[in-house]
Amino acid sequence: MSGTVQHKNGVRVSQRHGAGEWKLEKMLLAALMPLGLWVAVSAFSLTGADYAETAAWFTSKLNAGLAILTLIVFFGFSALAWKVIIEDYIHKPGTKALLIGLANLVFLALTAASVFFIVRLALGSAPLPAGIGA
Amino acid sequence: MTSSNNHTTLDKATDPTGRLVLQPNGRPRPMSPHLQVWRWHVTMTASILFRVTIGAASVGAAMIVGVLAALASGPEAYAGLLGFMASPLGVLIAFGLTVVLFSFLLNGARHLINDTGQGLTPKAADMLSNIAVWGPVPLAILFFIGLFATGRVSL
Repeated sequence: MSGTVQHKNGVRVSQRHGAGEWKLEKMLLAALMPLGLWVAVSAFSLTGADYAETAAWFTSKLNAGLAILTLIVFFGFSALAWKVIIEDYIHKPGTKALLIGLANLVFLALTAASVFFIVRLALGSAPLPAGIGA
Repeated sequence: MTSSNNHTTLDKATDPTGRLVLQPNGRPRPMSPHLQVWRWHVTMTASILFRVTIGAASVGAAMIVGVLAALASGPEAYAGLLGFMASPLGVLIAFGLTVVLFSFLLNGARHLINDTGQGLTPKAADMLSNIAVWGPVPLAILFFIGLFATGRVSL
């Protein structure tokens, strides 16, 4: 074993990452409780709205900010949750690392895409593909 | 030959719980805890459903990103999506995602409560699990009754 054994309040300190990942997952899940309620309320009010009304909803900084926050927190939580699920069922080291890497990549791409779309909507940018083709 | 310690058969009288198996030497022993011989319990269902919910919620969130993409692509693209969402299949998908959202909230709350070490007595754990397992369906039905009543959805 490398490194010296440390203690904090009489409890041995983890020499690896300890419970950090678990705590982060729980904090993200706790944050998703009020955000999830906000999603339910927003989904209710936006159902049946046309393009103009929905686009106008996103120009509110509060709505756009909460939407970005919700998706970042949710995809962060999902990445950790899928990591745990993959670790529970896949035991071959190479396959496990590959699947976890793939899941992280997918959730990172989804986060980036959602931030990109919401920022464009919040700024009232021209519809995509703006400047491409016609 | 049968004695109280060495049965050759298991019946209601010798095994009232129905959880014993006969070993090759004829002795009754509890079944090993394997997935196929676990007795169903609501806490187990709640735990399994939370994993299912996270998987479904991931798919749902990816669909939300798709909606954002359509919205950012302008009125024509969004009108096409709205047309699909107003169809019976679209409403069914929306109802399913509503169940998933409420399942995530209720089951997530159950998980957070249990993670702090609270609600782990059999009675409390059963109650929290029952709320997490069954609660999402009536909540989603109420949500859709509200949507239909306010004229936001019609078929």
